Amino acid sequence: MSEQETGGLVIQGPAALNFPPPSTGYARSAYGNVTPDFGPAPWVSVRPNGHVRVFAGKVEYGQGIRWGLAMAAAEELRVPLDVVEVVLGDTDRTPWDMGTFGSQSTRYTGVQVRKAAATARQALLVAASTTLDLPVEQLRCEGGAVTSASDPARTVSYAELVREHPGVRDLLEDVPVTPASDFAVMGHDTGRVDALDRVTGKAVYSQDVRRPGMLYAALLRPPSYGARLVSVDDTAASHMPGVVQVVQDGPVVGVLAESDEQAELGLSVLQAEWEERDDHISQWDLPAALAEHPHDPVTIQDDGDPERGLQRAAHTLEATYYIPYVSTVPMEPRAAVAEWDGDHLTVWAGTQRPFGIRGELAADLGIDESQIHVIAPELGGGFGAKSIYRPAFEAARLARTAGRPVRVAYSRQEEMAWTTFRPAALITIRSGFASDGALLAWDFNAIHTTTDRPMIGQRGSESPYTAPDRKVVVSSGPAPLRPGSYRSLGGAVNHFAREVHMDEIAQALSMDPVELRLKNLEDRRYRRVLETAAESFGWEPHTPGSGRGHGVALGWDVGSYAAECVEVRVRGKEVSVDRVSSAIDCGLVYNPEGIRNQMEGSIVMGLGTALYEGAEFEGGRLLNGSFARYRVPRINNVPDMDVAIVGDDNEPPTGAGEPGIVPIAPAIANAVYDVTGTRLRELPLQRHL
Amino acid sequence: MATMHVNGERHEAPDNRRNLLSYLRYDLGLTGTKYGCGEGLCGACTVLVDGQPLKACLSTVGSVAGGQVTTIEGLANDGELHPVQQAFLDETALQCGYCIPGFIMTAAGLLDRVSHPTREQVREALAENMCRCGTYLRIERAVISAAEIANE
Repeated sequence: MSEQETGGLVIQGPAALNFPPPSTGYARSAYGNVTPDFGPAPWVSVRPNGHVRVFAGKVEYGQGIRWGLAMAAAEELRVPLDVVEVVLGDTDRTPWDMGTFGSQSTRYTGVQVRKAAATARQALLVAASTTLDLPVEQLRCEGGAVTSASDPARTVSYAELVREHPGVRDLLEDVPVTPASDFAVMGHDTGRVDALDRVTGKAVYSQDVRRPGMLYAALLRPPSYGARLVSVDDTAASHMPGVVQVVQDGPVVGVLAESDEQAELGLSVLQAEWEERDDHISQWDLPAALAEHPHDPVTIQDDGDPERGLQRAAHTLEATYYIPYVSTVPMEPRAAVAEWDGDHLTVWAGTQRPFGIRGELAADLGIDESQIHVIAPELGGGFGAKSIYRPAFEAARLARTAGRPVRVAYSRQEEMAWTTFRPAALITIRSGFASDGALLAWDFNAIHTTTDRPMIGQRGSESPYTAPDRKVVVSSGPAPLRPGSYRSLGGAVNHFAREVHMDEIAQALSMDPVELRLKNLEDRRYRRVLETAAESFGWEPHTPGSGRGHGVALGWDVGSYAAECVEVRVRGKEVSVDRVSSAIDCGLVYNPEGIRNQMEGSIVMGLGTALYEGAEFEGGRLLNGSFARYRVPRINNVPDMDVAIVGDDNEPPTGAGEPGIVPIAPAIANAVYDVTGTRLRELPLQRHL
Repeated sequence: MATMHVNGERHEAPDNRRNLLSYLRYDLGLTGTKYGCGEGLCGACTVLVDGQPLKACLSTVGSVAGGQVTTIEGLANDGELHPVQQAFLDETALQCGYCIPGFIMTAAGLLDRVSHPTREQVREALAENMCRCGTYLRIERAVISAAEIANE
């Protein structure tokens, strides 16, 4: 239940937007039984000082949602950006929200905030009409005041209006919002609203939360996945300097101390006996295990009869692709602080799902959701993975026993070993095609290590290429590492196989890969992103002997279309990606600078998965769970990038945070083939060159 | 005991062996300096000691005794942003922002030594800092334009 925003003019409206999302039932399959609160809840308020406050249950992890929502409110209320405050991810203050993932913030929350702010504008106009004794038609909102269109002297500020006419109004679903052609803030490049705190060190992340009397925890971790704790001897640990208590609460064992270092030292002398499992699948065995044990196949696309199509086609190809597990590696390792006040619990946790975590905490601790307040501070990166947030539970249990606030902050090694991974996948594609490049048959069979979260592997598996006979089946398989969300979920994984395979067809026919794709694409929006990227890149067919390889790929994610062309050089086992031209169509554009930022970030992240990244594991132990052994892109690995935004204003806004990652790995693999003549079907490329 | 100046203020740390990053963050409350890996491999904890970038996570307070430590909180001068901070704002050279204090401190240290760094020098100096949001190109542009601002 949201706290009532008091004073000023408050616009309330339905919460739990787009729940559950149509078509997929994604929320339920992803996150179990969440209990949505459909509202009404406050979305926008005009404060007695004339400033504007926006409320949303989303969280900020770098994608710029605070910026985007502030722009939407500033646009509709005709106020400068710096008087808009955005309150995010707080279960006592903001509308209920399923979670910040799937690039839904602009699509749903942004639209709701626009409507709420436009409702407020309309209410202010009506109020001003009384105050100024002028009809609404002769008034306009401007710079935080309502003013007569003909006589600028007749004006009244929002501050005065809301002091005279405070109250709560319902959001009007059919309120006219500002058309894109009249945008003064949205659609324009503005300075990011929360940037100043980030360059001065003032922004508070979960790792930075400190409470009076807070204890620092160091947690006992098993030596391998699935190990069972047999016994603990805390005699030595509890006598270490600064150690206050060693707490064992169910599966959570933590050394609590007055400082972080004292807790770590205490942990180092904690004696524990474990019973380890002996049935672990290692990285070497995983591809075979997937091939042998797929389960729960789901048919995603089913047109015609691929077997018949393959028999009729003049040419056929069959190839198998393997994409390993990758670590998410947000810069901020997860952390949480829990504080009990009687039977009321407050948790600061940088999770992408503050409301979901509240429900799970209630279940875990056996208390009611109304006794729990979850606050999400700034998130130092999340990329989907911080939907699952263990430290909130660990801190809550430890604090309950300790009777003092407790901070659980993961080390880098804990963040890598004890959170989640993007699932690995084994994908086999059989295709049939005519000599002119027309695709006739497509049989796509993917097995992702997704266990209970099959939708991760299904994302992006459907083929955009027309063919009379198509079948796409996605199964789950054994998962030695815990699967979790990642940028585009398994979308980038499925795209890798499909887009490399398209390149192999072009290669088999000696056709230009751009031309081959265009030949098989009907959707105008796919064609346009591909043509745009190719044009900005200056696409040309292979030039032997140049020492440079060109590669192309395209894709679709969260409602948006993207294409990328890349140029690489290969020296020994080191691939250097020199430039990337990209195009995105995400419909109506709210924040072009935000979109460019997200596209660049997606390209850099995907470059890591293409060239370097892959989790290594054996015997239930992660072998490369530190930066010493897990390489991610650095500044000197980053290509020059250009981003073309090509959407139409009459298309609804769709996601921009994820589409950029789906074409990049196959585009790089295709470029590596172009320059080396070696076709790599397994990532990361540098491990296989 | 180790005595040092942090952002111009004199401090006495009781234990020479105290990790410098923990001391700054939890004892002094200067949480703008971040923990990223504890191995000196991501640069999120970079501070300046006597003007030179140092990975605080691998240092002790004893090792900087007598020194002048500057953290991100102390970089602005009388409320006026350091040219590197201003340039990061101008280029929107950040997303989640967690790595940004480390980048800014490393870049400030670079500009102290090299007034007009080339792109290659910027890349070399910042290669030990990690940004997972991938804002590297903007960071590079920001540092080069900060050099221009600083030399105006």
